[in-house]
Amino acid sequence: MPRFRIISIALHLLVSVWALFVLAPVVWMVLAGFRTRADIFTQPLGLPKSLGFDAFVRAWNTGIAGFILNSVLVTVASVGLIVAVSSVAAYVLARSDHPALKWIYVLIVASFAVPAQSVLVPLYQIISGAGLLNSLFAIVLPYAAYGIPFTTVLFYAFFLEFPRELEEAARLDGCNRLQVITRVVLPLSGSAMASAAIFQAVFVWNEFLLALLLLTDKRIKTLPLGMLNLRGQFSADWPAIMAGVTMVTLPMLILFVLAQRYFVRSLAGLGK
Amino acid sequence: MISGALRGLRLAGWNGAMLAPALALVGVFVLIPSVVTLAGSFFAFGITSSAWRFVGLDNYLQAFADPIFWVALRNNIIIIVGSIISQVGLGAILAAILDRGIKRGSTVYRTITFMPVVISSVAVSLIWLMIYDPNVGALNALVKAIGLRPPRLGWLGDPSISILMMLVTAAWANVGFQMVLVLAGLQAIPKELYEAAALDGARGLKAFWYVTLPGIRNILVVGILITTIGGLKVFDFVFVMTGGGPANATQVMGTYIYLQAFTLGNMGYADAISIILLLIALALGVAQLKLSRRG
Repeated sequence: MPRFRIISIALHLLVSVWALFVLAPVVWMVLAGFRTRADIFTQPLGLPKSLGFDAFVRAWNTGIAGFILNSVLVTVASVGLIVAVSSVAAYVLARSDHPALKWIYVLIVASFAVPAQSVLVPLYQIISGAGLLNSLFAIVLPYAAYGIPFTTVLFYAFFLEFPRELEEAARLDGCNRLQVITRVVLPLSGSAMASAAIFQAVFVWNEFLLALLLLTDKRIKTLPLGMLNLRGQFSADWPAIMAGVTMVTLPMLILFVLAQRYFVRSLAGLGK
Repeated sequence: MISGALRGLRLAGWNGAMLAPALALVGVFVLIPSVVTLAGSFFAFGITSSAWRFVGLDNYLQAFADPIFWVALRNNIIIIVGSIISQVGLGAILAAILDRGIKRGSTVYRTITFMPVVISSVAVSLIWLMIYDPNVGALNALVKAIGLRPPRLGWLGDPSISILMMLVTAAWANVGFQMVLVLAGLQAIPKELYEAAALDGARGLKAFWYVTLPGIRNILVVGILITTIGGLKVFDFVFVMTGGGPANATQVMGTYIYLQAFTLGNMGYADAISIILLLIALALGVAQLKLSRRG
């Protein structure tokens, strides 16, 4: 089987080249944080000469802790709101055959196609008109609005396949409509909820455009803006910029490797 | 009769209460702003001015006569086509290899390749900004090390190659997503189909052509559509890496709308470009519905 061996080695080589191409910038990012400005300038491809954390301290002092806190608050609030609002809406849409609901469903699907880029001007006017610029509360609302259509469609498909017999049995046992949802449907929808939550959390955590538009006060900025802030503050101090990016990115990567099964399942669910 | 009507009303009230939060949020932040954008596109107004001056179709005529608008649209198209070829193409090839071509380490390969998907696009842009940097960047150093000369204006400073450099960054970030998408589709193809094809004499490339490709056709369509919509909405990479420069050479629709509205203060004009973008996005949305229904 020598021909088979050669093909197999060639295929391994091909995926290895891509894996190296993906890994190299990440390794380079981490190493750059440990180097000095002068050193990186004279020898771009060199290795760190010592394990100094100076650049990490410089980056941390730009307020990264605050950016992380803001991002955690915004992500938890947005994802919670998206999942709660979408699940009840999808349940009604999947269980009722009122003709008006069909149009509401079409409207929600249509809003899924509207890019945030094409409503920037009125969005800015609505938020600033309501006096809500630079409020973490304000950014949660548009994030929820942009997450709801996709999540509702996802849950709608899930509830259509949910066994109605279980709900009817609960009704016979004396549950009212709300109890059927809170005691029977929701507890059995955990995996769908988790998938949707992970997907939306990755989106909100990394969202940049709306944050750029609506959060200008440094105390209220989320992580993507905080990282851009590093570039503005340090301009050519690449070790400090990369140290900052490393501190933000590495925990996410570790979390991903530990829970990759769930991430991959959630994000690849888009294809269904 | 009366109690039936009452029950109907209560049911409507119940349905309404469950739907109201979703409709309110989507209405206030997506649907109403779309209509306001359409209205604003027929007026001239600035960030602070409350006076809207009706200008009819002038903003649209201005867009069609604006060379930078066409550069931005062209760049979106380059990014869309380039991303479909590089991301969907490479993603499908890697997925096919991981599915049937290799026996060991496919989980490790999948994890590494998918990794950039969870990295924020601003972080991705900053990492690649440093790699492309003419003074401290790895790419210049590597090119010099093998005896070639790097571009005189820099990888991102040279208008003829800066868009290509962004395609490389986008591929780095997104190939893993496409790969996982296709991989899920490949693993759903029943093994018996391959066995039956082998009995009929179809192995290797023939089996790929007659069994694998038809099996993942729908997934590839979804991947192409996601890539197309992503390429239409691209903003973060361009804004962070070049800001649309040098001399507007890397401007895309998203960054140009932002520039016109919030840097130059031409909000009516920005609205007109927004509506053009919205119409393209809606057309793609309809295409998506049509194609996924067929599948």
